[in-house]
Amino acid sequence: MIYPIEVNDLYYKYEGNLREILNGVNLKVVEGEAVAIVGLSGCGKSTLLYNICGIIPHIYKGEARGQVKIWGKNILDMKLPEIATKVGIVFQDPDTQLFSPTVENEIAFGPENLCVAREEIGLRIERVLKIVNMEKYRLENPNSLSGGQKQLIAIASVLAMETEILLFDEILSQIDHEGKIKIREVIKELKGEGKTIVLIEHDLDNLQIADRVLQLKDGKLEEFKDGETVGLNRA
Amino acid sequence: MVKLLDSIGLKSVNFGYIKGKKIIKNIDIDINIKDITCIIGPNGSGKTTLGKLMMGILRPDSGEIYLVGEDIAEMSLGQIGRKIGYLFQNPEKQFFSNTVEDEIKFIPEIKGLDKKYIEEKTALLLDLFQLNHIKNSFPLKLSQGEKQRLALAAILVNEPGYLILDEPTKGLDVERRKVLVQVLKKLHGEGIGMTVITHDYAFIDQISDRILKMHEGEIVEDKRNER
Ligand SMILES: Nc1ncnc2c1ncn2[C@@H]1O[C@H](COP(=O)(O)OP(=O)(O)OP(=O)(O)O)[C@@H](O)[C@H]1O
Ligand SMILES: Nc1ncnc2c1ncn2[C@@H]1O[C@H](COP(=O)(O)OP(=O)(O)OP(=O)(O)O)[C@@H](O)[C@H]1O
Ligand SMILES: [Mg+2]
Ligand SMILES: [Mg+2]
Repeated sequence: MIYPIEVNDLYYKYEGNLREILNGVNLKVVEGEAVAIVGLSGCGKSTLLYNICGIIPHIYKGEARGQVKIWGKNILDMKLPEIATKVGIVFQDPDTQLFSPTVENEIAFGPENLCVAREEIGLRIERVLKIVNMEKYRLENPNSLSGGQKQLIAIASVLAMETEILLFDEILSQIDHEGKIKIREVIKELKGEGKTIVLIEHDLDNLQIADRVLQLKDGKLEEFKDGETVGLNRA
Repeated sequence: MVKLLDSIGLKSVNFGYIKGKKIIKNIDIDINIKDITCIIGPNGSGKTTLGKLMMGILRPDSGEIYLVGEDIAEMSLGQIGRKIGYLFQNPEKQFFSNTVEDEIKFIPEIKGLDKKYIEEKTALLLDLFQLNHIKNSFPLKLSQGEKQRLALAAILVNEPGYLILDEPTKGLDVERRKVLVQVLKKLHGEGIGMTVITHDYAFIDQISDRILKMHEGEIVEDKRNER
């Protein structure tokens, strides 16, 4: 069977670090599935996502062993732009993601690189801004937005790329109560459309949207058992 | 206006980042410096802006802000900083040291505090916030939750008399969140008050004396929380 995401016995150590962060990770995600990953801060959740979207090893060096495949193709045999047509990632820190002079440019950037037609890009900008309820901020500079607003624009930018695989790294951490409810609904809809989703979460409330919850511990993924021991917050 | 000696007082405070677009609208409020006051409200309602005004990082377009009776317009950032510890919503932008440990020690060392005292206090905080195993790491390479814990440690090492914390539980797992609640409750018990900006309702419930709700630059609700 070919999986949208397949990770086989993955080990990873950052350059200059002594210990391995990932220590034999195995993961298969099927099409249309939403998998949540939980685990204590610093255990390597973001690192795992970097491995799935190719930032590791294409940008961050370090020692990697094992295999990551996107739709059956080894990530080492793919260039970053090719991976970007298939995998979209919303980073944990929106500041690392936003760099354009206006919100509109920011959202257009991804689709433009995927050579989406101009008219279609315009439609997508409108659609995603509506989803995150930020239509009023279309011409603002992302740098002059509040923390939560930045996070919303980071989400909107990735949604506009309409990739089949979506990686969400604690994307609700600065979003207000109503916004959280809305984005959770959006994620459910995306799943309904057949998108494959991996999300990282500390909040129990946000885990309800997942089909499966896995725990990253000691560098390995295991079945999630007890909410208290893996670092979940009950809001 | 009576300049209350036990409060941070805002008197008709207005502020906008750009002309003609008011972000803080005529806010009048006294915040008791012994209380844990939580500020809540939707994204973009002006919570961070208000915190930065209280800290003197932003200066009001009109109105006055008093810190225990002193007009902060007449105080430098450094003077305010010696009284209030401030946690930025995105604290990693403030990091400048090469290691986690040095980041914590930097300010106390500049102040010329006793070396032995600094060593002990730093060790205590590294332990408390579970940063020991990464004390030699480069702060900008930490995970998000580790950065948050480092920023908190680097503030508390200065033993501030008051705290303004912008989203302190962001990125913290339940274990670390428990530690933070304990730490803040202990400080509160020692007479240190704080203003906490947060979306985290469970946290508010555990810790707040008073809850202020903002909406489009105004305080629209003000209530006590009976813990
Ligand atoms: N570029 C880097 N170089 C060296 N070490 C790093 C680097 N990035 C992360 N680390 C370390 O690797 C470990 C795992 O980091 P990672 O960001 O994957 O954790 P996480 O599970 O996402 O944590 P959090 O919940 O706090 O975001 C941490 O201890 C961190 O300090
Ligand atoms: N540097 C800036 N320049 C211009 N406008 C800004 C700047 N920073 C914030 N704003 C605007 O001011 C308003 C209030 O922002 P603020 O950061 O105070 O909100 P907040 O309540 O803290 O929101 P969040 O919950 O998302 O952190 C927002 O509309 C935002 O777009
Ligand atoms: Mg992370
Ligand atoms: Mg804010």
